[in-house]
Parts: sequence; structure tokens; C-alpha cells
Amino acid sequence: MHIPDGFLDLKTAVATGVLSTAAVGISLRRLNGSLPRRKVPLMGLAGAFVFAAQMVNFPVAGGTSGHLMGGVLAAVLLGPAAGVVVITSVLIVQCLLFADGGIVALGANVFNMGVIGSAGGYAIYRGVRLLFRNERGRYLAVVLAAWGSTVLAAACCAGELAWSGIVPWRSAFPAMTNVHMLIAIGEAVISALAFSAIAAARPDIVAEEPRSAPVHEGKDLLLYGALITIGVVLFISPFASRWPDGLEAVAAKLGFESAAVTRPLVASPLEGYTIPGLGSPVAATVIAGLAGTCIVFTGGFFLARVLTRRGRNEA
Amino acid sequence: MNMLEVNDLSYSYPDGKPALRGVSMHAAEGECVGIVGPNGAGKSTLLLHLNGILPEDDSRHGKVVVCGDRITSANLHEVHRMVGLLFQDPDDQLFCPTVQEDVAFGPAQFGSPAGEIDRIVRESLAQVGLEGFERRSPHHLSGGEKQRVCLAGILACNPSILVLDEPTSDLDPRGRRELTRLIRGLPATRVIASHDLELVVDLCSRVYLLDGGEVVASGPAVEILSDEELMLAHGLEKPHSLQHRHPHP
Amino acid sequence: MRHDYIDRYARLDSPVHRLPAPLKLALALALVISTVVVPFSAFLYFVACALFLFSVILLARLPISFVAIRLLTLEPLAAGVAILAVMQPDGLFVLIRILVKTNLCLLTMVLLANTTPFAGILDVLRSLRVPPLLITVLALMYRYVFLLIDQSERMTRARKSRTFVPRRGSRWKSAAGIVGQLFVRSTERAERIYAAMTARGWR
Repeated sequence: MHIPDGFLDLKTAVATGVLSTAAVGISLRRLNGSLPRRKVPLMGLAGAFVFAAQMVNFPVAGGTSGHLMGGVLAAVLLGPAAGVVVITSVLIVQCLLFADGGIVALGANVFNMGVIGSAGGYAIYRGVRLLFRNERGRYLAVVLAAWGSTVLAAACCAGELAWSGIVPWRSAFPAMTNVHMLIAIGEAVISALAFSAIAAARPDIVAEEPRSAPVHEGKDLLLYGALITIGVVLFISPFASRWPDGLEAVAAKLGFESAAVTRPLVASPLEGYTIPGLGSPVAATVIAGLAGTCIVFTGGFFLARVLTRRGRNEA
Repeated sequence: MNMLEVNDLSYSYPDGKPALRGVSMHAAEGECVGIVGPNGAGKSTLLLHLNGILPEDDSRHGKVVVCGDRITSANLHEVHRMVGLLFQDPDDQLFCPTVQEDVAFGPAQFGSPAGEIDRIVRESLAQVGLEGFERRSPHHLSGGEKQRVCLAGILACNPSILVLDEPTSDLDPRGRRELTRLIRGLPATRVIASHDLELVVDLCSRVYLLDGGEVVASGPAVEILSDEELMLAHGLEKPHSLQHRHPHP
Repeated sequence: MRHDYIDRYARLDSPVHRLPAPLKLALALALVISTVVVPFSAFLYFVACALFLFSVILLARLPISFVAIRLLTLEPLAAGVAILAVMQPDGLFVLIRILVKTNLCLLTMVLLANTTPFAGILDVLRSLRVPPLLITVLALMYRYVFLLIDQSERMTRARKSRTFVPRRGSRWKSAAGIVGQLFVRSTERAERIYAAMTARGWR
């Protein structure tokens, strides 16, 4: 999900940059007050760990493979603030050392994978933990947190790309979220299995849940939550309101349909085609989405697979 | 005068397993003392105590005296400066992105003036034969070079006692030869824990044989290490260079 | 196999490598931002930018094949987005626009990464008053990432050599096992590094 430079326009880059800087600032401030000195080396090693873990492949479907993002794993093992800082460091090193993910797009990548992927995931984790307090609840929480945060991060990523005007929201949103609903299963299962492997090898590491002091925890999660909400409102909702589905149906019923969408923001290429029996705009959107999903899956992954394999052998 | 004295030191791991039981040892000024024993004998744990790394709490009894002062939480920083500790895996010890920063780490922490540090780094690197390595990254060095940079990082703190944990375990013969020569030439008091008994015979005048967290034998290196029965009983082997010597002629 | 080759070109010697790191970082950032901002109609800018970057490759004595491969290995996301971009009015134009912009930006960053040692970049960040904790984490990460990648590759190889019928379930399990083991080893190494830092007076 690393967005390269050239994909985002300046307004998106600045908006994500501001949100990410705020989140990383909050996290660093919290760590400066609460991180024991002996844990400082662990932060660096955890960064190297996430980096290396992202290179471990697992098969997804049809011969393609995915890899872990690791945000939730980091947050659950080290705490949300540490998770954000670790993932941010990973993204900075990937950007500056490997040119993987852009530097102007760094804010967006930190927002999607660090803030949503780690702190957002942690918020889901804590929410589920409140409902299921036993040991199994912990694994369930890891699974749901990893899955949910990955899909939300993908949706935000689609929103940022659409806001920059390089992809049509109508196909980008379903394509990104559908693909990542599948990839996120891998993220969820691998995170939970890795967590259980760690618990088996070193029960002491996972014995105590890494939480900020109870006084801070609510406040921290509220701050991260606020930043994520701003991001979602900024990147997703302007399109969602124009998205011809539930919202528009409501608008039609209330009788101000014509005012809602006078001109589609970006037209889908499949929209002009009338497929017998499936002529409605909703169906066109669904088909565009499905087509986008398939194309991204087959085209993108196949291309990447061939290219990375070649790159690796020759590098 | 004894630079280093350990009196009746006992220590248990956090899980309650005893690691050291009543260990006593000493090292005189300028002396080179060896600590040998099988895996899990408690060698590394003992060395960590010599530098005051392991906490002074209920799990620990006895005392460690460095240069006449008992190690307490109050003088820990001073002890860290006086006792240089070389760890077994150089990758654990070279934690900075460049050789320059790594060698400068100790002097900076011990408050050497900023203007002095560059000179100290240069001299320490020259001392281990790695002039001009300042800008190199540790991950581009060979095992032997890494180990020597570690040594430079310790020498830069100007310690009076050097404690070395398996200094030759990852080295090829040439790296081992160079490091041996280096260690021999140092004026500081040295304590070396190693499985490399040839190295111990070569460098140390006295040895302590540790097993099960206890000192089971101590005395002149040649005498202890050429006692074939004693060596075999504690999972070691008589070194080749001593094959034709007998402990009690 | 050892992965320290990844940043091997950063330590070559050339006029470009000898330029001070702050200058190169500032220049790269300026170039990337202007490439993002300049409208595509200003075609000459992009031609000039490409020519400039190309001459930097030659000056820096980087192998062209290496740079080309780095450009080709865009993320799957990028490939997917490129395809999605075509699915709109003027899609082809949008596609060409983002391909040109992205490749120029990527080329800039590849050149920066391969002509500037990471330690130099860290020095710049330090002088920009980036919080010390973040710098420490970045420095430790850079130092140990190669080691951990090597470790994970050894584990992967060891698992492969013991697996005969790789099914998806078992491969997920083995990937998770490697990830878990990697974390445990990172934790243990972090503990030893802490001891080593303390031993040299860190407080």
C-alpha cells in the first residue's frame, strides 16, 4: 500500500502530512514520558523486525502472494504510541534508503499504515478486548483489529488517490477495499498466528498488555480517533455522499435527487455501456468495481510478481 | 593491589534458577585471568556482574569490588567506565550506524569534551589497526573487523579493566591471530572467558574453572588446563599445545 | 546470502557522492515537490528534469541497469492504480501523466538513496531537530535491518527444506512462525543491545 510520489497532488500530501505529523508528535510525546530506557533499543529492533517481516511472503490466491504490514502486531506487542513511531520509522527508512514509497507521499503512507494501521488497529483491539476479556478474546481482537484497520487503511488510500484526481472513486474505492478485504484476511490470520507463536516462545513478552497508564489511555485513543476521523471525513466522505447507493436512494425518496448529483465527478468507463437487465447506475458501479477488483488483482499482482522476481535475482 | 575482587557472589535468574553459587575470584593489576567452563556454567553471567550490569537486588548476594570500591547503584556509572566489557556477539555491541559514532559512544556518555572525541576515536581505531574506518557502516565489516571496532569502542573509554566474553568465537584464524596479538599488547587488567582454550593458555597466567555456577578449580593456566581428567569431567578438552605436559610432573 | 548489498552504491565515490548530504536531500525534495506541482502542460520542465536526472546517473557512476530495475519494480499498488486510472475520461492522458511524474520522482529518490549514506541523512534529520527518540529508532533500525532480513531468509530457507507438500494453510502457518520467531529474536537482541549500551555508560 506504499503510495509513490507523483500519485498525490499537493493538497492531499499536505493534508495527510499535517495529520500524520500530529499523530507522530502525540506518540513521541507520550513515549518520552512513559517509555522505560531499557525499551528504547527494542523500538529500533521492532522497526527492523517489521521491515523484515514485511518481506516474508504468504500465498493469497491464484499464485499471488501477500505480505504482512505489521501495524497491529507492533501496536499490540508494544503499545499504540510505540506502534505509530515504529511503523513511521519503517516508512521513513523504506522511503529514504530503498525509495519504496514517496517522500511527498510519506504523510499519506504514515497516515494509512501507521496511524490507521497501528493506532486505529489498536483502538479496535481495545474495543474488542472490553467485550471479550479472556485469552481467546485476545486473538479475536488481534484478528478483527488487523482486518478492520487494513481495510480502513485501503479505503483511505483510495480516497486520497481519488481526491488527487488520478483514479475515479467509483472504481478505485470498491477495487481497493475488495482487494484488501482479501489481503486483510492474510494480515489478520498471520498476525494472530505470529502472536500465538510469540506467546508460546516467550510468554513473558505478551504476559502484560502494553498500555499507556489508564489516565492517558482514553485520552490517547481519543486523540488518535479524532485524527483518523478527520482523515476519513476528508478523504472518503466527499465521495461517499456522491456515491450512487444508499445515500442517493434516500435522497431520491426525499425528493431532492436532482440536486444531489448533477454531473458525476468522474464517469466510470463501463457506465456508458448498457448491459441488458443491468442498466442501472448502481449495477454499473458494482460492475465497474468488480472489474476494477479483477484487473487490479490479476494485472497488478502478476506484474509485480514478475518484476520483483526479476529485480531480486538481478539486484 | 587487586584491581578486581569477587567475594562469595551468588545470583539467580529472574525465573529463580540459580546461575552463580558463591563465586570468589580476583585479578591483580595488569594480570590476564581466564575463566573456562562448559556451556551454561555461568561464565557470561559472572562477566555481566563484573561491570555491574545485572541489578543488585534480592536475587544477588556477595560483593564485587572494582579498584577497591564495592559496586553499588551509586558508583555504577564510574564502574561502567573503569570496566570495559566486550560482548560475545559484536553485532550486539556495534549499535550505531557508523564506526565513528560507535567508537565515540562511550567517550560521549562518559563526558569527554566534544573537541577531544574525534581524536580519541582516531587513536582507538589506530590502536586496533583500523585507521580510516570512521565512515564505514558496521554491517559492511567482516567478523574480525567488527570485533576490533568493538574493542576500539571500549578502549576509547580508557578502562582499567577489560572483560572479554568469547572474544574469538566468530573469527577466522587470521582474525583470531590478530585479536590475540592485540589483547596481549594491552596494559589493562584482563579477564577472558572462552571456550578457546588455546587462547586462554596463550594469554592468561591464571584460570578459574567454572561449572554449575561454582568455581571448581583455580590456579596457573598451564596446570589446570593440562589436567586431562579435570578437563574431561567438566566438558572441556586438554588443549593441543599442552598435550605433552602433565599437571604434576 | 547477505543483504548488505542493498545500500552498496551509497558508498561509491563520485562527484555526486561527495556532495554534502543536506544539499542532496534539499535538492531531491525540491525536485520531487516541483515534479508533483508543475502542471503536465509544462512539458519542457519534465524533459529538462529527465535530462538532469539522467546526467546525475552518469555522473554518479551508477549502473543504468540497476536504476532501470529499481524503476520497474513499482509496488503492485502503483500498477493497479495505473490500470484504474485508465478507467476514466481522458484516462490514457491521466495514465501518462502519473507515469511520467511517478517515474521522475522515483528516479530522484533512487538517486538520493544510492548516492547518500543513510548516516548522512540521519545527521541532516538531527540538525533539523527531529525528536531524538525518532532518530535513535531510525539509527538502530538501519543498523539492524540487514541482520534481521538475513535471519528471516535463513529461517525461510530452513523451513522450505523441511516442507514437502506446501499447502496454503501450512505456508501461512510457517510464515507466521517465522514472523513470530523474528520478533522473539529481535526482543532478545534488543535486551543484549541494552546491556551493551549500559556497559558503555548510557544513562
